[in-house]
Amino acid sequence: MGFGMAGQAADKIVAGACGLALAFAVAAPLAQEAAPPTEAPPLSPACEAPAGDIAAPASLPHFAKALRERKSARILAIGSSSTSGVGASSDAKSYPAQLEAILEGAMKGADVVVANRGVSGEVAAVTAERIKSEVAREKPDMLLWQLGTNDALVRVAPEEFENTVRSTIRWLKENEIDVVLVGLQYSSRFSRDEEYFAIRNVLQRVASTENVAYVRRYDAMRFIAQNHANLQMMARDNFHLNDLGYQCMAEHIARAVIVGAFAKRRPSGN
Amino acid sequence: MNERARPAFARDDETAERSKKRMREPNEIDFWRGFALVTIFVNHIPGIFFERFTFRNVAISDSAELFVFLAGFALRKLVDGPAKPLSARYLILRLEGRAFTVYLAQLVIAQLAVALLAGASLLLDAPFLLDWNNASAIFTDPVRANLGLVALTFQLGYFDILPLYVALMLASPLIALCYRHARPALLPASLAIWAYALTFGVNFPTWPTEGSWFFDPLAWQLVFVLGFLLAGEDGLGGLARRHRKWLWRLALPLVLLGAVAAKTDFDPSPIALPEPKLFFVFDKTFLSPARLLSNLAIVAVFAGAFGAIAGALPRIAGFLSLLGRNSLQVFCAGSLLSLAGQIFRFAYGGDVVSDAFIVMFGILTMGAAAWASEWRDRLRTKLSRAPAA
Repeated sequence: MGFGMAGQAADKIVAGACGLALAFAVAAPLAQEAAPPTEAPPLSPACEAPAGDIAAPASLPHFAKALRERKSARILAIGSSSTSGVGASSDAKSYPAQLEAILEGAMKGADVVVANRGVSGEVAAVTAERIKSEVAREKPDMLLWQLGTNDALVRVAPEEFENTVRSTIRWLKENEIDVVLVGLQYSSRFSRDEEYFAIRNVLQRVASTENVAYVRRYDAMRFIAQNHANLQMMARDNFHLNDLGYQCMAEHIARAVIVGAFAKRRPSGN
Repeated sequence: MNERARPAFARDDETAERSKKRMREPNEIDFWRGFALVTIFVNHIPGIFFERFTFRNVAISDSAELFVFLAGFALRKLVDGPAKPLSARYLILRLEGRAFTVYLAQLVIAQLAVALLAGASLLLDAPFLLDWNNASAIFTDPVRANLGLVALTFQLGYFDILPLYVALMLASPLIALCYRHARPALLPASLAIWAYALTFGVNFPTWPTEGSWFFDPLAWQLVFVLGFLLAGEDGLGGLARRHRKWLWRLALPLVLLGAVAAKTDFDPSPIALPEPKLFFVFDKTFLSPARLLSNLAIVAVFAGAFGAIAGALPRIAGFLSLLGRNSLQVFCAGSLLSLAGQIFRFAYGGDVVSDAFIVMFGILTMGAAAWASEWRDRLRTKLSRAPAA
């Protein structure tokens, strides 16, 4: 099954999400313990985008199992400047920190720890080496891997990038760690850059064939940039995100995580 | 007149000869150091076409291990050679002086790298270049990042080998003095520190960015000490020399096995492994046993090959030895050239032709840096002799 089906499934969720927002806000405090949320938390108005532009979710069984059995889960957020939080006003505004708060808010009673291991400007091949070292020591239940922008900029060959990402995903699967790929930064400057386009395609293809969740960051950012032109999502350098941009990034990833871990009708592929 | 002039000329010739001799003849260690330097230069340009020809594609270790191993080897040559008559006090001074030189080199190239990124971001109107090589904290959090840069707790990506080298050279008097006064304790102590680092995952932290050193000095000191010990004619080095043929036979299958592992992307899964897992995975930061063994096996297989290489390719042997003789200067030049190559590929795209240009330009510039450094030494020697003449 292709992206279409996942998109439709996720579309319904988003359509329901807005209507459910009020109900969720009321219901959440009533939850007694780490009850799995039936829906992803609603998006802030500024961060709204069509579900198909936000993510292609896939099931996250190990993360869900950790929450079910231990009431806690460890997430490793690895990647480059968008992970380390360049452009944010403080570390607490980086996307991993905001994501931790959103997930704990959505799953009352659960203890979610998101470790930030972003190194700015890093290409996937170097991150892949760090992943092995971090996994051996930290043993996360889920890995959020934000990647692609720097590989496109330094002109890593798409097939080389594909090999790196694919072999690392397989290695992570063997180690019973769920993977969420977080895609490239949107920038109007690169909207016609062939290399940028090729790397985006590779990521989408790898996520689809390896059946791992993929946060379509480029599409969501482009949608917001084009439809909420009055909202300032970018830092002063007009490339990195600001606090609001990171908030949207965290909300979009949270959606993919919660849908992937708890949605009853999981898409069979993406 | 002629009779009297001849000795004078002869003396001049002798001086020139001696001054030439000051630059060592091409030798095995310098050659492999030069080889490692060229490999590091290419490996530090992600995506470059010629990366596929570097030996990390057919091994589970890479030129970083080789470089540190040879640095340990060179330390032994110094301690057994020119530094042999030195008292403990002067030996410490000399080695710490070298650590300080390496530290200054690191500060200079890190600052030049920052300037290179800043200049390129202005010239190409590309603010994201300020992120490259982990540099962004310099621009977004300059107060803390500049302190971290000087304290070596903040390291730019790919500029992380010299901080390790500084740490090793800072500790080198301990190694040299242990070798002088408690020789049997050196290897066990080094092994114990390495095992401790791997067992508990102990590494130096980075600051202000959250994380740890890319090369853990507590783990990597082992390959440095092994280089130091294997360089000697006695002890471990003597043992290895006496059993060279057996070692070669033992190492060859290991090298081939490493090639298969690299080619098939084999990497053990920690989940299937017992604790402490760092002993069993192929980890670079902590120099896991597999990577260390791979490096030692490569050394065992290729030790002694220099003679044949120099015979068949004397110019290449001479050129790489020239690089290796001036390894610090060439390393610094190579690091900056790698970064320039990354920027070039961003600006002009990456294809085989432009990549070939980058590699040729880079290697020639590294050669020029080595030549300039030796020329300066010769000039200094000449000038210091001038008043006496």
